[in-house]
Amino acid sequence: MSGDRIRGAVAGLAVGDAVGWPAARHRAALHAPWSRRLHRELDAFAEEHQVTTLPVPFALNQPVAPLRIGPSDDAEWLAWTLLTIDRPRAEAFRDLVPSRPGAGPPGAGQPAGQPGAGPAAGRPSGLPGAGPSGGAPAPIRARISVATALDNLANGVEPPASGHDNPHHFDDAAAIRAVAFGVLGRDPTEDAQVTNAGDGVLAAQAMAAAVAAGSMSGDVAAAVEAALDRLPADTAIGHNARLALSVARKAGDPFAAVPALDAALLDHVYSYGVGAAQTVPVALALAEAAGGELTRAVPAAACLAPLADSAPALTGALTGACGGYGAIPEGWTAPARTLAGCCLPDLAGRDLIELLEGIA
Amino acid sequence: MTSLRDRARGCLLGLAAGDALGAPAENLTPAEIRRRWGRLTEIEGGGTDDTEYAIFAASLLVRHGHDLRAHDVAAAYRAEIIPRVSGPMRGAGFSELGTVEALRRGLEPPLTGLVHAHGWSDGLAMRAAPYGIFCPGDPAEAARLVEQDGLVSGSGEGIVGGRAVAGAVAAAMGGTTPDEAVAAALAVIPADSWTARNVVRVRDVLASFPDPGGSELVEALHRAVVVRHYPWTDVAPEAVALALAAFLAGGGEVEASVTFGVSLGRDADTIGAIAGAVAGAARGERGVPARWAARIGPVTGKCLPVVAGRHVLDVADELAEGL
Repeated sequence: MSGDRIRGAVAGLAVGDAVGWPAARHRAALHAPWSRRLHRELDAFAEEHQVTTLPVPFALNQPVAPLRIGPSDDAEWLAWTLLTIDRPRAEAFRDLVPSRPGAGPPGAGQPAGQPGAGPAAGRPSGLPGAGPSGGAPAPIRARISVATALDNLANGVEPPASGHDNPHHFDDAAAIRAVAFGVLGRDPTEDAQVTNAGDGVLAAQAMAAAVAAGSMSGDVAAAVEAALDRLPADTAIGHNARLALSVARKAGDPFAAVPALDAALLDHVYSYGVGAAQTVPVALALAEAAGGELTRAVPAAACLAPLADSAPALTGALTGACGGYGAIPEGWTAPARTLAGCCLPDLAGRDLIELLEGIA
Repeated sequence: MTSLRDRARGCLLGLAAGDALGAPAENLTPAEIRRRWGRLTEIEGGGTDDTEYAIFAASLLVRHGHDLRAHDVAAAYRAEIIPRVSGPMRGAGFSELGTVEALRRGLEPPLTGLVHAHGWSDGLAMRAAPYGIFCPGDPAEAARLVEQDGLVSGSGEGIVGGRAVAGAVAAAMGGTTPDEAVAAALAVIPADSWTARNVVRVRDVLASFPDPGGSELVEALHRAVVVRHYPWTDVAPEAVALALAAFLAGGGEVEASVTFGVSLGRDADTIGAIAGAVAGAARGERGVPARWAARIGPVTGKCLPVVAGRHVLDVADELAEGL
């Protein structure tokens, strides 16, 4: 493994995470709850008044730093995985259980609604662990698959049932974390099974294999081949991966492939866009169509709005692994390295690349 | 001695009644249901997708019998459902519309049920009863047949949930006790499944409540199987477990099972429909309250235009003819 390419995979994921439109919505979690309530009210206002001026995340009487371009949920969960990777996975997740809202005694961990200058208001992004309830452990934020898995663990449902008895077992939460396993050349299955099953676990295995192959060889074709080896053709993710690759090859260019990928992979039926059977195939196809170049693949991934929460991040990890850290524009790595703590408050202010010291 | 025809009529009448009774309670909390109705016992309006899709499934069985295969079901979707979907597909869950989109794209089962995110939908469980009617006393065959339907629109726990309901109805058609019918449901699904674990959980909860009546049982059942951090309620492992819990809590009696089922909220129309179908198969047509039966007319086809004008009792008779 090349150190530069390991750093590239991790930073590439953070850049892709920062590129997607949902990043600012995740990062706005650092604001007081009433600020996000106003956002929802402005959405309703647009509907009610039939105006096409849609609200964007905004800072009224709140710090503006969270809304600057930067990484959000995926980079934080990758960092958490790197920090805990040597521990038994269910045990590492179980440590997160008490900080879930509602998981502890009634009222514990619930942020108080504080208009004006709540504790979060003046908080620099580098203050670790200071949750909005001040002192008490701050609640963490996670995907539906992870939230349900934490509930399962709290109720004595162990892996693999914790990931299987889970309405979002198919999402890409484990595929994101698998980037950590990929750069270390380790098997992500035990980790993936805590929160996912089926396509969700296959996605993690494919991502780890692709990131490992990419950071070993720098060759995107090798990375894609390693991923396909893990994705049986008779699964949704395996079918979609081959379809996405064929559609993108026909288009010949990542940006040109965007409408064809939308038509081939997205049915626009479901309310959430983090299905691993869509996001991982899109990442593989765009990485390949870009010849492994992050600066061509990631912007195209961000154009698929329904998948923009994680497909750009996965695309960034794959192309970052192939091209290395040096190939990512510094204008992107500088803001993308620093974690906001919008999902895992203890990570606020941590530098993602420094976490790799001793690894890369 | 209750005849198979009588049980078939009771089953689909119970399904339609549970669907109609539960419709206004769908997605309400149990507390809100209590606030609005106390106990919801009177049908207010028509049924929903549950009844219409069950009629459609029965028509597949009448045509294909035990030879029914997934590709027959896919062909029927293409011929009878998709051409009539212009604009909104009313009453359809994610799994039905996701399946229609997959079929439109040229996919075939089982990929049609795998490529959308709602493979575990209770859409198969809600229409599984005809398969149980068709295989009285043979839960394994009912489960095998319903899986052919499920492969088109579902996967994983969605198919498991359909198998469980078809198995329970088949057992009830054979004249078992409620406990035996639930045991039959468990016998036709993998023990290592979410649905099986949930059915066992609700059975344990019921065993610890000797007098099933109050809201405490409702809360305990919710704690046992309801997924807290998910906004949609049509999750088969949850709906099937709650419906079978209602059937047990009602002692297999139609009105008690269905009214308790819809008091649970969540996917109340489907919970009511499943509880009503299993209890109706156990008790026959006379087991369904006459005031409910009087409210069940031919379906309007608002969800599936192809079945407009069909009455569940005629459909039950057609299914029973081949038995």
